[in-house]
Amino acid sequence: MPALLLEIGLEDLPAEEAEAVAHAFHRAFQEELRAARIPHGPVRLFWTLRRVALLVEEIAETQEDVVEEVRGPAVAVGLDPQGNPTPAALGFLRRYGGSPQDLLRKKLGDKEYLFLLVRKRGQPVKELLEGIASRALAAVPCSKFMRWDGAMAFLRPVRWVVALWDGEVVPLQLAGVEAGRITQGHRFFGSAVELRRAQDYVAGLRAAKVLVDPEERAQLLRQAITEVEDAYQAKAALSPELWTMLLGQTEWPQPVVGRIPPEFLELPEPVVVAALREEGKFVPFTRGGRIAEVFLGFAEGEGNPQVIRQGYERVVGIRLRDARSFFVEDRRQPLSARVPQLRTVVYEARLGTLWDRVERIRHICGHLARRLGLPADLLDRAAFLCKADLLTVMVREFPELEGVMGGIYARLDGEREEVAQAIGEHVRPRSREDALPESPLGTALSLAEKLDGVIGPIRVGEVPTGSRDPYGVRRRGSAVVRLILEKGLRFDLFALVEEVGDLYPGTEPVEKVQAFLWDRLRSALEERAIPYDVVDAVMAKEDGDFLGVWERAQALSAWVHRPELSALALAFSRVHNITKGQEASGFDPALFAEDAEQELWHAYQRVKPLVEAALAAHRYGAALEELLTLKPSIDRYFDEVLVMCEDGRVRANRLGFLRELSALFLRLADLSRLVVPG
Amino acid sequence: MNTFQDMVLALHRFWRDQGCAIVEPYDLEKGAGTFNPATFFGVLGPRPWRVAYVEPSRRPADGRYGENPIRFGLHHQYQVILKPPPADVQDLYLRSLEAIGLKLREHDVKFSHDDWESPTLGAWGVGWQVWLDGMEITQFTYFQQMGGVDLDPVSVELTYGLERIALFLQGRESAFDLRWAEWLTYGELFRERERQFSVYHFEKASVERARQMFDFHEAEAKECLALGLVFPAYDHTLRCSHLFNTLDARGALATAERESYIARVRALARACAETYLAEVVGARAAP
Repeated sequence: MPALLLEIGLEDLPAEEAEAVAHAFHRAFQEELRAARIPHGPVRLFWTLRRVALLVEEIAETQEDVVEEVRGPAVAVGLDPQGNPTPAALGFLRRYGGSPQDLLRKKLGDKEYLFLLVRKRGQPVKELLEGIASRALAAVPCSKFMRWDGAMAFLRPVRWVVALWDGEVVPLQLAGVEAGRITQGHRFFGSAVELRRAQDYVAGLRAAKVLVDPEERAQLLRQAITEVEDAYQAKAALSPELWTMLLGQTEWPQPVVGRIPPEFLELPEPVVVAALREEGKFVPFTRGGRIAEVFLGFAEGEGNPQVIRQGYERVVGIRLRDARSFFVEDRRQPLSARVPQLRTVVYEARLGTLWDRVERIRHICGHLARRLGLPADLLDRAAFLCKADLLTVMVREFPELEGVMGGIYARLDGEREEVAQAIGEHVRPRSREDALPESPLGTALSLAEKLDGVIGPIRVGEVPTGSRDPYGVRRRGSAVVRLILEKGLRFDLFALVEEVGDLYPGTEPVEKVQAFLWDRLRSALEERAIPYDVVDAVMAKEDGDFLGVWERAQALSAWVHRPELSALALAFSRVHNITKGQEASGFDPALFAEDAEQELWHAYQRVKPLVEAALAAHRYGAALEELLTLKPSIDRYFDEVLVMCEDGRVRANRLGFLRELSALFLRLADLSRLVVPG
Repeated sequence: MNTFQDMVLALHRFWRDQGCAIVEPYDLEKGAGTFNPATFFGVLGPRPWRVAYVEPSRRPADGRYGENPIRFGLHHQYQVILKPPPADVQDLYLRSLEAIGLKLREHDVKFSHDDWESPTLGAWGVGWQVWLDGMEITQFTYFQQMGGVDLDPVSVELTYGLERIALFLQGRESAFDLRWAEWLTYGELFRERERQFSVYHFEKASVERARQMFDFHEAEAKECLALGLVFPAYDHTLRCSHLFNTLDARGALATAERESYIARVRALARACAETYLAEVVGARAAP
């Protein structure tokens, strides 16, 4: 089978988006091939910021045939009263090459039609490619669409197209550009390349100084970074964003190492890191928590490394000089003096200014301090100061330093170390991967800050739907849950949300916030690989102690593959089912007449205090183990005792007892929700 | 050829040869060459348009008292408008850099994603900052909208940061050490002016009077628009824009108020664009 190469040449894509665009095109193209019934081998993807290319190593010459039902005239029109085809039906048959005995009848709505099964011959793939490629390109989602000459809107202008079928150009047009066999090499260090065959693509471009395989570029970047790490005994301060930028920025990366002028090494490490990483320019390095004196950039192409290094050092120097002047300027007033100015900055029209936000965070912190046993005065001080750095020049210039800068300035202002650390940590986690705060105060402050960012928007009606979440409520909600579960914070979140309810304007009830958080907890449990039936079991009843829910889920999960738990679940289901919907009522043990009744009653009396003690101590595994011992007694009870007996008083008494037994189980989980292997 | 003025003359020659009309800076304060009527009105409507010019651009908040090597309250932009843009517009731009003496194969040249937006002009476009060895030397933009109006055809705007490019050409570390002419440095021309304007904009400008002047010019612009006098209206819009920049540099505007000032300038710019299209372009199109 022949090979197919399709390359789309573009003006420089945004480095941060090039990879995503390439992958989206790759996916869409394969979907189109599938939809068009074109058998093919692996579709390899190559990309740089100036091109996206697909190389199909083997592709069929023609589409697969397909049998389709084709609708003809209505039966009333196509057949005469004797059932013979009329001229209308004969015309239909002629058109598709069928004979009268092939006609089928089928109802569509309330009318019956004649149908014919028609075999459609597959078309030559070459002729289909233009449609396939244009549809795939149109399916690529871009962050922003631009127009350039009216023909089409895309992320950047399409400037050349290569379409080769082995050695032959496929005549097609894409975004108004005629395909050919000439691709563009490196902008300065390669020339145009005339490709003889599709298979020459990667090698042809390498000769023209383009590493079109992203994996090759990644290797080169990694190796250069490692070399600097080894040579300077330092660790690269990479971030996922920086890595994406570096990989997308160049077609022929050349590592260039520069030095930071010594006078700037005194600046706080996060400031230098932010200044270097800004716009994906340079890789910073650290050594023992301090900034190292080197940085690494990747030049595009084979320019003179001395010249480039000089240029890099100059921009780094200029930017760090900026940063130092921001630092000096910011230090003219202490953070605490900036706090009142937060009144002038709108946070959200309905939720007031940043000052209002800080006031609410302080309130929430007050509750948290009490519940978590933290020093309220220190936590309040940290909360009071936590947003003041938004008014500093440094954070305006380097938004990623929000919080971090506040911590640094607070320390220099002479705030207590715990306060400074809490401020510095309170915006974490910024993403799912980001680390949590380390200190207890930082944890509490982060929790309060995230909670305010969940409660506020939801109360004014900004509940996230689908992919729409302009306030990042979902991310914050997940952070709240992460903080509680991973930091082991034991308190009633629902009660807290209730208590701070009055701080918020808005139309939506507190319950909506609670339901939203409960849903985030469910996602968190599922992400942590808790089986869904265990999630259902421990979340059967709403519970503001999220940590408890998590621990109960873990306890159950530990037993989930063991037959003992399944057996207990079956036994419990009998108790649960029979008492479901029954009114609460007392019972009198004196009325237990049968042995099995007595036995379960005694077992229950023995186990109950042990289970309660275990639950109170949050030793949920132990509670489960105690409950497991009830299993034989429950089984015997249901084998021997007729609960729904004739005597109403006895029946009510038995139900009353079983209800209490059920309630004891439910404090751990609703085991009837577990899926028991059949 | 090495001086600042030689660089400008070389750019003039290059773009003249590409069919650009070399026009003059506009005689009012403005934040960027984009505000020059040759761009603002030139990109509107269907008529092909190619112009190039130097624009002294005032950004009060960027002033650094003449102490920063590449930041100024007033810098010089070289502005090119190509409408419609040719397909090889990136190459054309790179050739212009070669034409002024930059040896691009010695350097690291990157087109780094940077979408441009002017909230006061109601304008946006997509494009790049061009980096030379990591330093931004040009803003390269495909305009998509101006004055709130979708552009058809679109235009490419090239905005060269002349001071920064001259640093490379003359091998200097600070713009104040650049040679403007053989006998005259950039510092001699502008350092004291930079210092004074920083003092003025950051410390001394009367907030009260700036607000009043803004109101006056806004009223005047509106009245001109009502009379169909779009060019005078646009001049007053430019003055409003600069007064807003002054208030902003002075730190006189809280966020919400800042937004409302921007919206007021944008409303004027939008009205100018619409009036221009209706009255000037429309009249030209009429038989």
